[in-house]
Amino acid sequence: MSGPYLRYAAKRLVQAVVVILLAYVFTFVVVSILPGDPITNVLRDPQNGFSEDEIRQIIAAQGLDQPILVQLWTSLSHFLTGDFGLSMRSSRPVTTLIAEVLPSTLVLASSAFAVALLLAATIAYGTQFLPKRFGQGLLRGFPSLFLSVPNFVIGLMLIHVFGFQLGLFRVIAPNSFWATFFAAIALGIPISAQIAEVLIANLDHESAQDYAAVARGRGLGQFRLFAMHLLKPSSLPVVTIIALTLGELLGGSLITETVFGRTGVGSLVQRSVSTQDLPVLQAVVSLAAVVFVLVNLIADLVYPLLDPRVKLVSGPKYRPTTADDSSAGTPQAVTP
Amino acid sequence: MTARFSPRSISRRRLLVATSVVAALALTAMAGLSPARSADARQNGGNITFLIDSLGSTWIPNNSAISSFQGHIWGHVTDKLIYVDADGKVSPWIAERWEQNDDATQFTLHLKKGVTFSDGSPLDAAAVVANLDIWYAGRKSEGINPIGLFPKTYDRAEAIDATTVKVVFKAPTLGFIPTLGYHGSILISPKTIAQPAAQQADLSKTSGSGPYVVDSWKEGDFVKLVKRKDYNWGPAAAGHTGPAFLDSITYKLVNEPSLRVAAVQSGQADVAYSPSPQELKSLKEAGFITATPRYLGFVNGLAINTKLEPYNDLKVRQALQAAINRKEIIDTVYTPDWKLATSFIQSNVPGATDHSDLLAYNPGKAEKLLDDAGWTKDSKGIRTKDGKQLSLTLYSNPYLATAKAIDELIAQQLGKIGWKVFIRAYDVVTFGEKVRFGGPAVPAYEVTRSFIDAGTVASILTDANNGENWFNLGDSDKKLSELRDKIASAGSSQIRDPLLDQLQTYVLEQGYFIPRTQIVQRIYVQSPKLKGEVYNGVAYASYYTATISE
Repeated sequence: MSGPYLRYAAKRLVQAVVVILLAYVFTFVVVSILPGDPITNVLRDPQNGFSEDEIRQIIAAQGLDQPILVQLWTSLSHFLTGDFGLSMRSSRPVTTLIAEVLPSTLVLASSAFAVALLLAATIAYGTQFLPKRFGQGLLRGFPSLFLSVPNFVIGLMLIHVFGFQLGLFRVIAPNSFWATFFAAIALGIPISAQIAEVLIANLDHESAQDYAAVARGRGLGQFRLFAMHLLKPSSLPVVTIIALTLGELLGGSLITETVFGRTGVGSLVQRSVSTQDLPVLQAVVSLAAVVFVLVNLIADLVYPLLDPRVKLVSGPKYRPTTADDSSAGTPQAVTP
Repeated sequence: MTARFSPRSISRRRLLVATSVVAALALTAMAGLSPARSADARQNGGNITFLIDSLGSTWIPNNSAISSFQGHIWGHVTDKLIYVDADGKVSPWIAERWEQNDDATQFTLHLKKGVTFSDGSPLDAAAVVANLDIWYAGRKSEGINPIGLFPKTYDRAEAIDATTVKVVFKAPTLGFIPTLGYHGSILISPKTIAQPAAQQADLSKTSGSGPYVVDSWKEGDFVKLVKRKDYNWGPAAAGHTGPAFLDSITYKLVNEPSLRVAAVQSGQADVAYSPSPQELKSLKEAGFITATPRYLGFVNGLAINTKLEPYNDLKVRQALQAAINRKEIIDTVYTPDWKLATSFIQSNVPGATDHSDLLAYNPGKAEKLLDDAGWTKDSKGIRTKDGKQLSLTLYSNPYLATAKAIDELIAQQLGKIGWKVFIRAYDVVTFGEKVRFGGPAVPAYEVTRSFIDAGTVASILTDANNGENWFNLGDSDKKLSELRDKIASAGSSQIRDPLLDQLQTYVLEQGYFIPRTQIVQRIYVQSPKLKGEVYNGVAYASYYTATISE
């Protein structure tokens, strides 16, 4: 590993930490200035019959009468030691709440991701090699179709057909194999769209290159050509897209989890937003920021190692970029 | 995968069939030989799944006991001192009997012997005192709230001996005994009460004395209850005191209402909570059991802000009372399972009297009242006075799914006689923030509220004793204040009932409260295989006495 690479890596690491801290502060400020105070709201519900004095005491017990900067400092210093405090809503430790829901979301997200990759690769393969009369052109329309059908519609359709009509899974056991399988399909479909589009664009580009023509001229079979020659160069920008779809996975899991009755990070976020449970939101957003930044960091660090054409641009911004800027589907490619 | 029939599998299947026929015959024969077992037609065993739309926010017993969702679980995990049935009838439970002094300031409770919490500690007088104290005061600095509906007049409770508790109030509190049957008044083990809030919030660490215990749970997902085999202190009024019949009850959260109902229809679950009212008819026709128990409390209606123009005018309020066609609300928005309001409290509340005549739809009378009050129709048919339009803003109750549909219907009905109605629909948080009883811009606050004892009604209506001051009257209405004080200090229901009748007449005549319909907040759709559930005074289903057939 060369000196410039290590310098580049170190800078990216510092950037990553700063982004995480900023995300933390930003969430705190946004949730704090939102209209409506969750605690007083619940307490002022006339059915509770609390007096103003009682409400004041309860708020003081939560430290919510402190100035906002003091609250931010307390919260931030706890965060740096890995302590997220107690949920305002349920009074249980935030780390426990997250630990309870994380495995289910990880299973869903990773299987949805596998579904998305498989689906994208299949569609991309079809657009290159399926004969025109069997709907090659039609396949090119699939990604935009997938993006335009709402996630929950796909989910509800799958539940009604495979859950209730065919009895393949039970709504009340959403973590069973088949329920997870169909939830992964519902979540994977929209995500496959973006990956497929980038993959198709790059396959179009690569298969027009001379080397592809040479390989074809040597009489290489369709699948071998695809798998051995075209897929690798076309997949490189997909690494970037994968990092970007992570956010999509998180957002989509919220809906999918609600529809399929799964309890995961998505449903935890949904409940916490509706009750403005600041400590939980803070923890989940920070966690998401950490994961997001980490995955992008890894993508950025791996990119120059994968493709020798990628040069580390020196200057104020260290960003990886391909010297050959013709690969249109590389969003992170920066013209020097 | 394709299943092929081989001779071997067929013979095995035959063998299985033959064995089970023999076994079934043997079982039938044995059943015939043991009359004791067959006499009790109820069978033991079985597991049910109850699909619910939320499990509330926290399980700290004091903080959660007012939530309509957690009440389902608490009802099986805990017992109460008093049992209150669907008609508001009070009967013994953990308190076998009780006495009170003449002015209802001192009560003596005599407890059932041998009752234990699931952590092994006894449910004795000391445990009851610990519960009464925390219901009244909570531990606010720790985030454990007092129970809002518990009488603020509470002074102290003391254990006279192991099974006798004396409770003392600072002022007459006739409603104390019925309040012990409210869903907030759940008996929790003193060991649990002593725990800090974060521990109490873990449902599996909470011990009650109920017929079921928490087997496992996951926040926002499910709660599984299993039966307690040594349970032997059920309320006599439920017709059964021994252990429950069903082995387990699982409450599973499913957000989507259509999925909850579809899961019951397809046999994947046994009960669906909160389906949409419009679905009930077709479900009933398809053979499913639907239940719409009413709770004891206020009807669904509007509390009028009497400080805000033009609702400070008696004639305008009376016109509003007469201009709402309540029958049409039931016919359009609901089903015949909903009942017409006959007062501003539900008709099953002890002490409620029928005032249908005051609530009759009479648009002619409404128009005349408005004419008399000086509101004349302009060219567009809207009534105006001194250049101002006759308007009403309705803030739809975000907790009640049908609230907006009813508001729209009322807007049409009032529109016909020249009222301009605006409808604001806010989410729960914004609603809580902007809409309050008597708020400066809120002419009418929609109420749905349960209570056990009608005695609590009076203090809510004004601002006396931390009251909610529903009509923004404060103490200014002498007659209302006088009735309130007489009802609060009444020592017996013989004295109180006529006063309650006067109060209902007065509030409706004055147009302070505009009833819409009697409230059904809890709706159940149930598989026909499940039988024998009981609904209590706050419309919670208890499956303590229920059985399920295969």
